[in-house]
Amino acid sequence: MVIRIAAVGDVHLDEDVVGRFRPALEELPDCADVLLLAGDLTRHGTEAEARCVAQEFGGLGVPVITVLGNHDHQCDQVPQVVKVLEDAGITVLEGTGVVLECAGGRLGVAGVKGFGGGFAGRCASDFGEPEMKAFVRTTTDSADRLAQALHSLDCDLLVALTHYAPVPDTLAGEPLEIYPFLGAYQLGQAIDSAPTALALHGHAHAGSERGVTPGGVRVRNVAHPVIKQAYSVFHVGDHLDQGEVSRLSASGT
Amino acid sequence: MTQHRGTGIGPPDEYIEAEIHRLLAEDPAVAEQGITVVRRETGLVLYGEVESAHRREEIVRRVADRFPDVPVTSEIGVIRTEAPTQIEQLP
Ligand SMILES: [Fe+2]
Ligand SMILES: [Fe+2]
Repeated sequence: MVIRIAAVGDVHLDEDVVGRFRPALEELPDCADVLLLAGDLTRHGTEAEARCVAQEFGGLGVPVITVLGNHDHQCDQVPQVVKVLEDAGITVLEGTGVVLECAGGRLGVAGVKGFGGGFAGRCASDFGEPEMKAFVRTTTDSADRLAQALHSLDCDLLVALTHYAPVPDTLAGEPLEIYPFLGAYQLGQAIDSAPTALALHGHAHAGSERGVTPGGVRVRNVAHPVIKQAYSVFHVGDHLDQGEVSRLSASGT
Repeated sequence: MTQHRGTGIGPPDEYIEAEIHRLLAEDPAVAEQGITVVRRETGLVLYGEVESAHRREEIVRRVADRFPDVPVTSEIGVIRTEAPTQIEQLP
């Protein structure tokens, strides 16, 4: 059983970017079962920018599943953004999940934007001013919804999709001082509470690609500035050689 | 730009750096959080990766408009959007 997952985050689309990803995206039906988008689809979260996303990522011939990012919230037009994306056939997850029938089995994807807060021993606490408590509760609520969504799916392969990072590993390269704004350990805890096979996130533009949760779930930061290609492709299955990275095609082009 | 330091006529470089950082994040025409501002002897150097050539130029223009006396150079790149040539296998 192999399920082929393409993923990218932080494409930050606006009119000036439309068309840049499309040639690579047209190849997706040949190399992936699904495209997962890890949030920050737009620059400011306007309806007009969402239409750019719909144009670039709509009608691809593979299912497209996304979570939103902090940039997609900037203009307080989330309902309009979600509607434009869904009208283009893109599934938007927020504390929800979806199961896809792929050739290699049933792929379950649970998604949530997530939030900051930091990582074990260096994180914000639910204590003190109301603003601080509201911050931390935003994180814990989000992690709880991710855990519920993960547990709700009946599938062969379970993937967690977030915008914020669930582990500090994939932040390497970012200034340590801003880690609490880039992710939260509670997201990792939610991922570890379920039989998750892979966790994908974005948001950390200067971070690094690979990490693992304390429970052993592989984590990949697919932010576009990190992967420096239109998307990454992961073949997830149980018969493959450990950690082998192989050629996508024999053409070498 | 170093002439600002201690002359009493302009803000210290560290505040300029902070202000550029916030300008780039909060200016609706830019909205970039991933640009690094590095102080060098010759002035400020901007590093980072953006999604279009238009954005790269806009960032330099905005910073130059806001700090006309500070020499600013840019090493900002436009992120490649090619299809991948390799996959990662995860057993
Ligand atoms: Fe982003
Ligand atoms: Fe983000």
